[in-house]
Amino acid sequence: MIYPQPKFSPGGDRYMLIEFGDEMNLDLNFKGQGLAAALADGPIDGVIETAPCFANILIHYEPEVIGYDDLKAEVSRLIEALGPSDDIEMDSRLFYFPTLYLDPWSKECIDDYRAKINPSKEQDPEFVARINGLTDVQQFVRVHSGTEYWAASLGFWPGLAFLMPLDPRCRLTAPKYNPPRTWTPQGTLSMGGMSTAIYPVASPGGYQLFGRTPVPIWDRERRFEEFEGDLCIFRPGDRLKFVPCSMEEYLEVERKVADGSYKYNIVDYQRFSVKNYKRWVSKLDLSVRF
Amino acid sequence: MMFEVIKAGLETAIQDWPGRIGYWNKGFPPSGPMDSWSFRLANLLVGNAPGVPGLECQFIGPTLRFLADGIIALTGGDMQAKLDDQPCPQWQSLAVQAGQVLTLSFAKTGARGYIAFAGGIDAPLLMGSRSTFHKAGVGGLDGYALKAGQSVAVLPGQGRPGRRVKDGARPTIRTDKRWEVEAVAGPNDDWIDAEGHARFLSADWKVSSKSDRTGFRLEGPQWTFTARAYNKLPEHGSEPANILDQGYPLGAINLAGQTPIILVNDGPSMGGFINPYTVPSCAFWKLAQARPGDVLNFKAVSVAEAQAQARALKQVCSEASIE
Repeated sequence: MIYPQPKFSPGGDRYMLIEFGDEMNLDLNFKGQGLAAALADGPIDGVIETAPCFANILIHYEPEVIGYDDLKAEVSRLIEALGPSDDIEMDSRLFYFPTLYLDPWSKECIDDYRAKINPSKEQDPEFVARINGLTDVQQFVRVHSGTEYWAASLGFWPGLAFLMPLDPRCRLTAPKYNPPRTWTPQGTLSMGGMSTAIYPVASPGGYQLFGRTPVPIWDRERRFEEFEGDLCIFRPGDRLKFVPCSMEEYLEVERKVADGSYKYNIVDYQRFSVKNYKRWVSKLDLSVRF
Repeated sequence: MMFEVIKAGLETAIQDWPGRIGYWNKGFPPSGPMDSWSFRLANLLVGNAPGVPGLECQFIGPTLRFLADGIIALTGGDMQAKLDDQPCPQWQSLAVQAGQVLTLSFAKTGARGYIAFAGGIDAPLLMGSRSTFHKAGVGGLDGYALKAGQSVAVLPGQGRPGRRVKDGARPTIRTDKRWEVEAVAGPNDDWIDAEGHARFLSADWKVSSKSDRTGFRLEGPQWTFTARAYNKLPEHGSEPANILDQGYPLGAINLAGQTPIILVNDGPSMGGFINPYTVPSCAFWKLAQARPGDVLNFKAVSVAEAQAQARALKQVCSEASIE
């Protein structure tokens, strides 16, 4: 549900959690990101930082400057002043990521899991296609790559973006692995629940795997200027489009990444208008898949 | 001043306080010293501002050779330090000379020892801090804990020897394997039923050996939940402790299925488990000094009480505590 009033809860002596609802609904994420942007533009004294998540936002504050009750009152006023999410407009960069769907590396990882942990585990792309009522893995690739993704939240690992499809016709869901995998290759595309994520580094994991991008989202050596001194490329409110590519293109980009000559494809002039987005969504025929 | 790492110890890393703040929305933890009480006092002893970079030593401390004269101080868990062959006292500033070797061994009390150097360690500033986030290869000298053979530079300082922490101003590191730890209810306390709350506040919670700067795993009784944990939309996940992914406060007592994990300095910023309680900042030093096998007993405090304790701790971490 969407709560009629936001719910405020304390997290120890320095944090406040504000929940706008308890469902996976982009509109609730827009509210959180809108509030984060408003707090960045017109700071409340004592607010140190914010971290929007799917349907909530965490505020880190300095209690010597502002108490919990005063912060709650000020943030409530700000949420009131922001009005409905329709009025929210935010800068939003758009990234194009070449992506090899149904790649051999995630297949190798799935096969290893089948061999060592769970022989009855269905291949991830086939499994996700089946439970979402799609004809085959080719349709899965069309549907998954047919939309821009919205960076709803970052976390778990620095720079790991939880990406939500903006086109409702491309919504898919997938349960997590149980038990989780012991390893996943860096750059693997994956899904858990309703969100898509790219593994920033090789790591254990539980999301279903179906593709790989050679483009790094994490750069601890700071080799790429597009990171602007940061170690991760994404921030909340970015958009990402996966562009299906061939193995040859994948390897070419991988070579360029390795020698440092790769240039990120980033569009950086657009603002995301919730009102315009909703108007577009309202005109779509949701019964159509790609 | 400069020193050379002869032996690194178990995981000895450069930290500053309060750490890498302002990147929680990208998933960067603050890092920094877990026992910031001991850390700040060490810096004050050697004439530094309380937050400048020093060393956090975990369980087994390092062996360092000084390449120039300087002033240092040791605080936190007692790692049986020796300067050359002589026992080296904690909680006071000391002069060290070029060529002398400081040897720390395993922690006799507590789990984390701190070394401050007059002037503070010189390391590259990365995203507002020099703290090491070892797991991700971020901060410190090269992203990781110290390694044998590395040379570490220290900036010029104003310290002098013979300064001591006043009695009563240092943390009391427990030797009876039992700690009372403050906990503030929330943010997700409404997911736990009355019996679950009573059990949490009365039980012995044993610190698991699978605890580190990311999280402290606790072993104890089962949790029981309110209806809310069962009657929920599928996007919350299948287990009672699953919730739609949410932001995690630092100190959150994160219920991963039935296992509570206290998320500490290098912990995750978000995830899909509930946080029925949060350990406030004033109690982090206790977690830092608790060893695997130690028992934690939680004491409920209000937000206002936790904030008052943080203010009191800040008072203690000041020049007034030094004589």
